[in-house]
Amino acid sequence: MLGTRIDFIDKEKPAISRTGVFSSEKRSDQWSLLLVAVGESRDRKAFAQLFKHFAPLLKSFAQASRHEGWFPGLSEDLVQEVMIKVWQKAGGYNPEKASATTWIYTVARNCRIDMLRRKSNTQHLPLENEDYWHEPDEETPVSLLRQNRSEVKVQASLGQLPKEQDEILRKVYLEGKSHAEASVELGLPLGTVKSRVRLALQKMQILVAPEFREEIL
Amino acid sequence: MSTLKHHPDTAMLVDFSAGNLSTAASICVSAHLHFCDRCKEELLRLDQVGSQLMSEAEPMVVEEQLFDKVMAKIDALPDTEAVPPPKVIDNYPLSVSKLIDYTQPGLKWRKMSGSVDVAKFKTGQSDFEVALHRIRAGGKTPHHGHGGQEFTVVLKGSFSDENAVYTEGDFLLREAGDEHQPTGAQNGECICLSALAAPIKLSNPLGFLMKPWLRINPM
Repeated sequence: MLGTRIDFIDKEKPAISRTGVFSSEKRSDQWSLLLVAVGESRDRKAFAQLFKHFAPLLKSFAQASRHEGWFPGLSEDLVQEVMIKVWQKAGGYNPEKASATTWIYTVARNCRIDMLRRKSNTQHLPLENEDYWHEPDEETPVSLLRQNRSEVKVQASLGQLPKEQDEILRKVYLEGKSHAEASVELGLPLGTVKSRVRLALQKMQILVAPEFREEIL
Repeated sequence: MSTLKHHPDTAMLVDFSAGNLSTAASICVSAHLHFCDRCKEELLRLDQVGSQLMSEAEPMVVEEQLFDKVMAKIDALPDTEAVPPPKVIDNYPLSVSKLIDYTQPGLKWRKMSGSVDVAKFKTGQSDFEVALHRIRAGGKTPHHGHGGQEFTVVLKGSFSDENAVYTEGDFLLREAGDEHQPTGAQNGECICLSALAAPIKLSNPLGFLMKPWLRINPM
């Protein structure tokens, strides 16, 4: 299964190294192997390597939050919580579905929301954020090749986006602002914010079949 | 081949991927994903955007003892070797199954009108409400407007309104002020998941009787 992924990367090598993405793709593959080692054999050395690489990125992700109720003191709590979850859930990690970086990002996103929810609610919600994303025993009907190609494309094109598109994506993903909140903050009509995001996604070729969606502007 | 035609728009999927949707909206988007492979594939790609933004961020030094603290916590974890797989009820999406499971002593169906029953979920939250609606075959729901955003996903069967026919997996968003009158399909009952972020207003004079069941009312 890993072989498929590596074959694919080799084939794409020239194009990838030209854009300077090859090294990070290779790196992410290294993280995937380490994450598998943690899942399969509770490998502490592999976990320590993952920690060394990801903890500073997770802290940075946490510090970027502009959610109501979030404060910088929570950042290292989030790093701890995410890394503990990584240890606990590594057994369920499937390198065919996502790179370790994307998998860890989704753990971090879910932890961040759940931490905020716990802070703002005295009542208990039966659903944790990951319940929304996780469907049991289900084959994701997405071809590995397409997923990998998409990952490479996103890596290569994200840095090439016009400033105004990049700015909104950062607000949405890192600061945790919805489109509506971003529109208020930037003093732009909501339709403009939505279309900038869509243009960026089109450039990164993320929209599978844009025409099937009725867009609400 | 699925016949589902109504999806969350791109902005909503992006906000879902970034974790910025309200809980009410998230529950319904996730229920839609259970039925929709295309949206699921797009979501996986959207997650790559967040992942890439995170991995390009300037790394920040963490406290020196942090790794040891994490390992100490890990060593103190109880052994949880076999986590039972989540219970899936009636082939519903996982989030719906969990809500059903959490609503003890069980879902209580109440008559909302001659042809519509409603069963509210226990969520422990007061700022939104999630419920199942069951429309009998051919049944008409009271004409109503919405005081706030309402998200609906068809879980079983189909229904129609002035605009379209909605089948399994279809996702609908009704904005505050929208009015409609859904009708169940003739060939069988229809079950929908709905989540609303503010009270519904009934425009039918008979409707006021139903208000208490529709109003946001933490259980």
